Amino acid sequence: MATVCEVKEEHIIEVKNFSFTYAGADKPNLKKINMPIGKNAVTALIGPSGCGKTTLLRCFNRMHDLYPGNRYDGEILLDGKNILGKKEDLIALRTRVGMIFQKPTPFPMSIFDNVAYGLRLQGIKSKSELEGRVETALKDSALWNEVGDRLKNPASALSGGQQQRLCIARAIAVEPEVLLFDEPTSALDPISTQSIEELVLKLKDKVTIAIVTHNMQQAARISDYTAFMYMGDLIEMGVTEELFITPKEDMTEQYITGKFG
Amino acid sequence: MDKFLDSLFLNTSRIFAITVLVVLVALFIVLFKEAKPAIDAFGLQFLTNTRWAPNMDIFGGYPAIYGSIVSTAIAMLIATPIAIGIAIFLSELASPLVAAIVGMAVELLAAIPSIIYGMWGLFYLAPILKDIWGGSGLGLATAGVVLSIMIIPFMAAITRDAMKTTPDILKESAYGMGATRWEVLKDVVIPYVKSGIIGSIILALGRAIGETMAVTFVMGNAHKVPHSLFEAATSIPVTLANEFTEADTDLYYSSLFYLALILLVISFTVIAIAKFLFLKRVQEKKI
Amino acid sequence: MKKSLLALAALAAVSASAYDINGAGASFPAPLYFDWAYSFQKATGNRVNYQSIGSGGGIKQISARVVDFGASDKPLKPRKLDKKGLYQFPAVIGSIVAAYNIPGIGDMKLKLENKDLAAIFMGKIKFWDDKAIAEDNPNLKLPHKKIIVCHRADGSGTTFNFSYYLSHASSDWANNIGIGKALDWPVGLGGKGNEGVSSLIKQNPYSIGYVEYAYKLKNKFSAAVLKTKSGKWVSPTEDNFKAAAKHAKWTAKKHFYQILALQPGDDSYPIVAATFILLPREAKAKDKEVTKFFDYAFKNGDETAKKLGYIPLPKETKDMIRAYWKSNGIF
Ligand SMILES: Nc1ncnc2c1ncn2[C@@H]1O[C@H](COP(=O)(O)OP(=O)(O)O)[C@@H](O)[C@H]1O
Ligand SMILES: [Mg+2]
Repeated sequence: MATVCEVKEEHIIEVKNFSFTYAGADKPNLKKINMPIGKNAVTALIGPSGCGKTTLLRCFNRMHDLYPGNRYDGEILLDGKNILGKKEDLIALRTRVGMIFQKPTPFPMSIFDNVAYGLRLQGIKSKSELEGRVETALKDSALWNEVGDRLKNPASALSGGQQQRLCIARAIAVEPEVLLFDEPTSALDPISTQSIEELVLKLKDKVTIAIVTHNMQQAARISDYTAFMYMGDLIEMGVTEELFITPKEDMTEQYITGKFG
Repeated sequence: MDKFLDSLFLNTSRIFAITVLVVLVALFIVLFKEAKPAIDAFGLQFLTNTRWAPNMDIFGGYPAIYGSIVSTAIAMLIATPIAIGIAIFLSELASPLVAAIVGMAVELLAAIPSIIYGMWGLFYLAPILKDIWGGSGLGLATAGVVLSIMIIPFMAAITRDAMKTTPDILKESAYGMGATRWEVLKDVVIPYVKSGIIGSIILALGRAIGETMAVTFVMGNAHKVPHSLFEAATSIPVTLANEFTEADTDLYYSSLFYLALILLVISFTVIAIAKFLFLKRVQEKKI
Repeated sequence: MKKSLLALAALAAVSASAYDINGAGASFPAPLYFDWAYSFQKATGNRVNYQSIGSGGGIKQISARVVDFGASDKPLKPRKLDKKGLYQFPAVIGSIVAAYNIPGIGDMKLKLENKDLAAIFMGKIKFWDDKAIAEDNPNLKLPHKKIIVCHRADGSGTTFNFSYYLSHASSDWANNIGIGKALDWPVGLGGKGNEGVSSLIKQNPYSIGYVEYAYKLKNKFSAAVLKTKSGKWVSPTEDNFKAAAKHAKWTAKKHFYQILALQPGDDSYPIVAATFILLPREAKAKDKEVTKFFDYAFKNGDETAKKLGYIPLPKETKDMIRAYWKSNGIF
């Protein structure tokens, strides 16, 4: 049984007895996980490669449903309601739970259209509303100063770090409740990494953040809570400072002191 | 020793590369040389003259050029939407099992020698089209249909492969924004592989315009600019295939080479455009 | 066991002295040449390889001396033979029929005047119940259907002979279309080879086309009754083909240059044509091997020829050819 600390914030997400099995896998890839995610907090998922961080993250917006044959067991509550039901409206779910990937994923269109994409999907057509919300999103993602004067340019012309911030702008434009980050800086240089980290800290006032990282310093710098996973199990979840200074589980200690992983 | 092998390898491959160029240039020179008497005799009027009377040494290439272009255009109009539809189905919609089976079938169809399509066109398609359209069932429309059926699998296979190059996370990002399958396809996949699709269209076009065996049977083989798409016509490769062996006057022979030269120029232009697009795509990716 | 060894030895003995000859050209007589070559090899052990690449190709290959003999459906004029250094003689005779596909009208029921046939192929007679056709066929119920003309798309000796005949039957044809292996056809569908034209006729009701007699037999086509030069109706039958062949005035001096269309005689079918063999004048030794093959074919090949729809040369013509060989030292 994993050691899970008290999360003082409201539990926007509650993972309950949750297991996940990929299509064709003979045993679950995530095993009986229980953990809360605090509202307007940053929760980091760490652990050695292949331990299931990404897998867990992609359960929160049911990204796994794009591929047939994957199985969820247990419950994941979002605002107290299980999202794993067969009738769950995935499109609505995904506008509430946004996602940023390991590599920047600008769509093959202009900067403006990228940020407006989710808004248009929601049926917003008014030009002034679109322009206003695109500007807000770009400002919130600290990109406005750099691209405000060339919104018509293709997004592919931006630098890697700018592209990643563009993806964040695109995600926050639709005002989600939760943002999922899967190693968002693994493809970026240190300076871009730093700007993304600053952005995460700034965003948590508006949105709940779950971030996968293989970089323990990064977790220590930006997260309020850290969950350590190992081979599909949640080993320990704690307040970040406590987990890194006084881990309760031997395995956590070994991992953060670099004995394995 | 390593250095020696290295330079050996370098030089051998250089020689091969140069050989390709030499063959290409030689091909042009030979065609031009053989076509010279006809070029001298008819000049550019060859391109617009509609009369082809070998027994009177009168040669005009217009009907064949017209037939080549029109039958290819019909084929492209039919094939492009269908091939893209198949590619979308295979890469985005079908279950993996169905995609594998149908995908294999498409690849097999793409590998069928074109003469088989021609025979099928003559013996099965033409009689059906005859009932629908009237006339003999042979002509540009039938040729266009047979050509389209021949290039659909080829185009579908290339387009599918291009679509598969769309990174999963790009599609997932769109799904992650709450997009539907159709929206992901329209907004992300198709724009992402646009140049690949255009490339496949142009390659298919190159194939269709040079195709001989699939259309000789169904063109109707008449050196006429037909009044309708359902009347007998001809095309450049069909004319060459039919008439080369028996072209016994110098001007006849050289007029056929003139046609061949025109076909080569058309194909070349098509391929050059394709290459240009691919090149642009590569550059775009680099930025 | 012993027997088969002996047979093997015999075979080896034959093949030791056996030779190979290579020929190329006309596709129309190819089935017959293949058959002749097969029995020639069985009898003598000598091999004849014939490639059916078309008359034009045959002329080109023998002019370049790529093969030992060339074959052409269209005879070369003596001047041209001198220029290219070739001998020429006929090998077998074929005939061309006007095959039609009109539901309800059987073989040799339709009569067509030679000039009307020309008008049909020029697109001037458009319907089967045209007055010009109807007046020659008072007993037939001709349909009011558009005539679908089928012709050769490739250059061919067949087209040459057919257009030669039409040119002599119709001045309109002679003035506007003319004679040639490939023509500017005013109307119709083109098919490649006799097979191509045959399948066009088969697939299109109310069509008419010209094919070698052998293809009429093979496809069980109906063929029209035409007119002799003297203006008598004449059916496409073997006897009438032979009658035309008899009238041919071959001469060795002109290297047998002769076009057989519209021969005189009341039972001479009007579209009959010989197919020719070309030999290089300088290669006497090899020529002897080739003439040995044709001599064998003239002696033993008439039955096969008839069976395949060709007309064997008359005996007098064969003798004349042998004399031609002898006088040129190639026999
Ligand atoms: N699409 C998939 N199908 C089957 N197994 C998968 C798939 N993706 C990941 N896995 C497996 O699930 C486990 C967890 O992977 P992942 O969540 O990607 O690890 P992490 O993100 O922690 O590095 C690994 O053992 C991996 O092999
Ligand atoms: Mg991962």
